[in-house]
Amino acid sequence: MDHLGVVLGGVPTTLLVTATCFGVGAVLGLVLVTGRRSGSVVVRGLSRTIIDLLRGIPPIVFLFIVFFGIGSGAIRLSPFVAAVIGLGLISAAHLAEIYRGSLLAVHRGQFEAAQALGLGRVTTYTRVVGPQAVRVAIPGMVTWAISLLKDSALVSTIGVAEIMSVTNQDARSSGSSLTPFVIAAAIYIALGSPLAYLSRYLERKLSLKGAR
Amino acid sequence: MTEPLTSPARPILSIEGLSKQFGDHTAVDDVSLDVRPGEVVAIIGPSGSGKSTLLRCINLLESPTTGRITVGGIPTEVDGKVSQRELVALRRKVGMVFQSFNLFPHLTVLRNISLPQERVLGRSRAEADARSMALLEQVGLASKASSHPPRCSGGQQQRVAIARALALDPSVMLFDEPTSALDPELGLEVLSVMRQLADEGMTMIVVTHEIHFASDVADRLIVMADGRIIEQGDPKTVIDDPQVERTRTFLSAIRDR
Amino acid sequence: MSTSLINDWGEWLPRLWDGLLVSLQVTGLSLVLGFVIGLGFALLSSAGSGLVRWPAILLVEIGRGMPALVMLQLVYFGLPGVGITFDAFPATVVALTLTTAAYTSEIIRAGLRAVPAGELEAADALGLSHVDAMRFVVIPQGLRIALPTLMGFAILIFQVSALAYSLGLPELLGQAYSIGAATFRYLDVLVLAGLLYLAITIPASWLVDRLERRLSKHLG
Ligand SMILES: Nc1ncnc2c1ncn2[C@@H]1O[C@H](COP(=O)(O)OP(=O)(O)O)[C@@H](O)[C@H]1O
Ligand SMILES: [Mg+2]
Repeated sequence: MDHLGVVLGGVPTTLLVTATCFGVGAVLGLVLVTGRRSGSVVVRGLSRTIIDLLRGIPPIVFLFIVFFGIGSGAIRLSPFVAAVIGLGLISAAHLAEIYRGSLLAVHRGQFEAAQALGLGRVTTYTRVVGPQAVRVAIPGMVTWAISLLKDSALVSTIGVAEIMSVTNQDARSSGSSLTPFVIAAAIYIALGSPLAYLSRYLERKLSLKGAR
Repeated sequence: MTEPLTSPARPILSIEGLSKQFGDHTAVDDVSLDVRPGEVVAIIGPSGSGKSTLLRCINLLESPTTGRITVGGIPTEVDGKVSQRELVALRRKVGMVFQSFNLFPHLTVLRNISLPQERVLGRSRAEADARSMALLEQVGLASKASSHPPRCSGGQQQRVAIARALALDPSVMLFDEPTSALDPELGLEVLSVMRQLADEGMTMIVVTHEIHFASDVADRLIVMADGRIIEQGDPKTVIDDPQVERTRTFLSAIRDR
Repeated sequence: MSTSLINDWGEWLPRLWDGLLVSLQVTGLSLVLGFVIGLGFALLSSAGSGLVRWPAILLVEIGRGMPALVMLQLVYFGLPGVGITFDAFPATVVALTLTTAAYTSEIIRAGLRAVPAGELEAADALGLSHVDAMRFVVIPQGLRIALPTLMGFAILIFQVSALAYSLGLPELLGQAYSIGAATFRYLDVLVLAGLLYLAITIPASWLVDRLERRLSKHLG
């Protein structure tokens, strides 16, 4: 009857998948948002299309395209690598939109003031606008991390041995089928709630400080 | 509209020993006040002196810590709990106009005025609409009946809010700084509606910084500080010759603005 | 290759189309049922009494905290363990309804909270009962404020419906996957399925954007 032990065994992999995809998404999201704000119409349109496609397609479908569609042909992708590519790219698109929203939230006057002072584009972003935008972006990023934690359950379908996957095996091999699922639900809630708390806390704190 | 059976000598609104505490801070401190039918009482005083809290206690938006409120001869003891029935009875007799209008933005101007009549007084839709149109006519906004509040200027919104309160045929109208959120010229339209209302004999308590309005229209001026009434009397007398030092400082401060 | 691809797509399309209809059915049903329950929970979790409020909030947090895939599998593979057995279609509707209820409850609650307190005070001062104030003032405005977010959520739940393939429901992804398994043309058929999903989600999010902009202009 050690359902708890079995299901807990999937936690490290769930956390690893979530953290890796988030990291990949955070970096690639910067690339996408830069493209989205580029001076070139072509680059802007392309970035926007990529973002819209990645956000519009169900994550499970994209994951299947990566794993079964691409990864089983000429290139062989391990389930973990396919998971990171699939959920990492989707994260990049969502995080790019979060970044973009936070850049829009920075007052126009800040760009104008930086220009008037003769600061270059890079300096303007890294020293003036970026730091202000980060405060706005952080609560949204934490919220995305929570979604990603839950979406990581999808990678069980391509054979990554995380929580959902070990839960399924446990349910199949043991007679009692409800208990493992209830335990899995409880574990996801337990993992997500500190993040939810953090997000609410940051939102309150950062919005107070940011207020004029 | 006012109650003809009440003798002029008997107050239409009587407040006895009213206090309100927030934690250990006393916002209104043992205030007593009688208002005669048709009387217009203006209240002035520095910010934080308890003017809004006093008004909000009169229609029990805040429940007072102690005191008794009598409207039209029916007393409501307000030490702690007031029954739902008493609450509704009292609010029907007291109309309130807020600094921020508080119209319902999803309803048209006409529905804003008619809905409470239907729900609170049980009037039919036709009856309510007829009364609403008459009031809109009176405040000069008949043409706005089918607009939504966000499409009206602040002055127009406040006049609608006055009509909405009047539609329930209150015995007393309370105004909490009705023009403070408005540009001066929009404030004037609102003040002129209030002046007209006073001329028609409505009993009114008006918290305001409009010293001209207070001296021209009010029958009595009350000065509040620290939750107490520190001075009251004929408006012109109080304004020209204040007896209390704090009144003098306050009056010169608002004149200097 | 391109002509043969188009031929294949033409051959697969009817099955995928049937799948899409199933996806839309489970999504629509779950949204309607979930929204009604969600509105109820939004009101309960804004209640004055803590005895009502806290259990409601707890249930909502549980529903939001677990992945939709866990909800689906719990209902379909888990509940038979305690004697409750569903077919794939009702199991999907039950699971997605519960998920929808939990999320929409929170979205509506935020909408209700965004109605300015001054308007409730005005309703009080006019002598409207609490029920009337909720019915005529707070709920209509709260729902309007929540509408764009609710529609955004509807798009999300349509995407989530793809997970029902794991219960063997012949919805869009399920059909694509079984065609893929039979033909080993996973990439082609999955891309086509993806395009069908996008044909719904992209115009829908474009509509939501427009609505959001129009409403914010109207209210501001
Ligand atoms: N809801 C409340 N909770 C705590 N303190 C309050 C509340 N409302 C008013 N106060 C306090 O009561 C005092 C009187 O406030 P108020 O009646 O608004 O004054 P005025 O309208 O004269 O500016 C102030 O010190 C204010 O901070
Ligand atoms: Mg005040």
